[in-house]
Amino acid sequence: MYEFQRQHPVAAISRAFGLIRGNLITILVFLFVGARSESFPFLWWIAGGFALLLILGVANWWRFLYKIEDGELHIKSGIFVRKNLYLTKDRIQVIDITSGVIQRLFGLVKLDIQTAGSSSREAAIEAVTIEKAKEINRILRSQKGDGEQINVDENGEPAVKDEIKKIFNLPGKELLIAASTSGSFGIALSILATLFSQIEPIISESELFEYLFGMLPSQTDTILIISVIVIFVVVAWLISFFSTLFTYGDFHLELKEKEIVISRGIFEKKRITVPYNRIQAIHVAEGLIRQPLGYASIHLESAGYGDDKGTGSIVLFPLIRQDQILPLLDEVLPDYQKHHEGIKPPARALRRYLLRSAFLITAITAALYYAFDLNNWIWILPLLSIFWGWLKYKDAAVAWGEDIFLFRSRALSKTTAYIRKNRVQDITISQSWIQRYRNLCSVQVHVASGDQGKSFAVRDLEYDEAFILMREIKGKTELTQEFSDLTEPERWISLPGWPQAAN
Amino acid sequence: MKQTPFHKLTPRAIRVWQLGNAIGNLFFFAIPVVYGAVFGTQGFHFWVIAATSLLFVVLWVLSIVLFPYLTWKNWRYSIDEKEIDLKRGVLMKNRTLIPLSRVQHVDTRQGPLLRFYDLASVTISTAATTHEIPALDAVLADRVRNQISTYARLAEEDV
Repeated sequence: MYEFQRQHPVAAISRAFGLIRGNLITILVFLFVGARSESFPFLWWIAGGFALLLILGVANWWRFLYKIEDGELHIKSGIFVRKNLYLTKDRIQVIDITSGVIQRLFGLVKLDIQTAGSSSREAAIEAVTIEKAKEINRILRSQKGDGEQINVDENGEPAVKDEIKKIFNLPGKELLIAASTSGSFGIALSILATLFSQIEPIISESELFEYLFGMLPSQTDTILIISVIVIFVVVAWLISFFSTLFTYGDFHLELKEKEIVISRGIFEKKRITVPYNRIQAIHVAEGLIRQPLGYASIHLESAGYGDDKGTGSIVLFPLIRQDQILPLLDEVLPDYQKHHEGIKPPARALRRYLLRSAFLITAITAALYYAFDLNNWIWILPLLSIFWGWLKYKDAAVAWGEDIFLFRSRALSKTTAYIRKNRVQDITISQSWIQRYRNLCSVQVHVASGDQGKSFAVRDLEYDEAFILMREIKGKTELTQEFSDLTEPERWISLPGWPQAAN
Repeated sequence: MKQTPFHKLTPRAIRVWQLGNAIGNLFFFAIPVVYGAVFGTQGFHFWVIAATSLLFVVLWVLSIVLFPYLTWKNWRYSIDEKEIDLKRGVLMKNRTLIPLSRVQHVDTRQGPLLRFYDLASVTISTAATTHEIPALDAVLADRVRNQISTYARLAEEDV
């Protein structure tokens, strides 16, 4: 640990594979385009590409050195440009241990140490043995420093393991529900469409395509289009189903004294360690399909980088019954109050909510209706959008307590966010000229999440009441004239409104 | 409790924005020009080009004569040991509060236009967002920057 060492040699291969996987679509496109031009010594290019990747991988592995000294991780890397990275343990936000398929063949893991901002992705050790990863993890997470010896049991697990206070698992039934209602459906669809647009010329030239068409019963164009769409949707759904299944299969949430550990994944196992004091915010998302079924997912924001690109959102629990949310939050956020009295946008804001969601859709529908002489059923879209606006109005609310803000709003899914006041990076109250006319305003707060931050906002609150939130951030002892004039509004709703499991 | 005073930007900011808009918004005239190059200037197309050109001329003049003044008139900032308070916006009025303990770093910037008028902007970064006080007097900007960084050091906390 205290001298420079290399990673396990498998790092060379796994890095090459990582590159291939990251650029899979580009490579596939290249392959298809290449396969069609026969003048091209095509196989040689592929072989050359792989050889180059391997050489690069080996060179990277050779030039990558790391050590831990005085509780500080020091990484030297780079083939031509040498990069020295020093990482002190008080800067660590999240520790991520992943074992992909290749690493698991050799009993290795990838160790990813995240600091604030997702631009700091360099502090990743591609392949180390599990024992080493655990030791690094222990040293970097220990509070007292690295010198001390911690007893290690026969599995190589440090003895601190028994400090696990509670484990939450994801039952198989709920995993299946999570997978079948997963929101990654749209992403899968778009990837599929991209792929298809690339492959389509090849397929349509091939005899297979004509053969398939011969198989289909004779049909009109409409039926053909509809069946293609149906096939697309089904395939996209299957992709999202299985990808969610593989990502969140074998899910455990362990609560420890100072940190939570999320482990998940069937093929690629991931183990994410987040210290409690690095949680920036927690939000509960109730999707359009999941909410009526009585389910929600819980996410946390960290200043490292999370599951999605650019943000630091990490899935804390992929699917949970609504009456289990508060008991779970009680365990994860023992010092937060869960229930608060809050305020909603006033009744006169409803009109703005309805207009905002319905206006554009209605205009487009009307235009299309008259331009293309569509079926009357198309008018169901504006009706739905009005309903959607009403839902948004119904769900919008803010509440505040001793040291916490609660923001609830809906885009497509209903989001309830718990934000500690001392984690709020900034608060903005904005008022458009129409809102000024109605004496309404919108409130937005930012919390750190990845390198861009994440915002939570509620629109069309009573103007004076919104300033209460700003006053809360200022702290009650520091009231200026302007804020001391505010009267405490009547808080007339209780957030959050989830059903509680009967005890 | 004493009310922290709100400051205005320097009136020279108006000049900078006027000059900036006068140059920058010329770009919009490329739209009718390109349209004319593609579709010709006969008949119906002539009226399209004339109408858009007229619209852009009006907007261009307004963006020099009126908008910079309004922006300046609506800008206020205040800085004390606890937080930075920014008020801005003409049609959309915004008020932003940044607790100083959340400030990650603060810097002054000076592009060629600002330098020409001896102005600078102060950029305040938190872990999530970046805010800018545009067009302060260069000396004042340095002072504001130093003041914020002193206050931020006093209120040191992690992310």
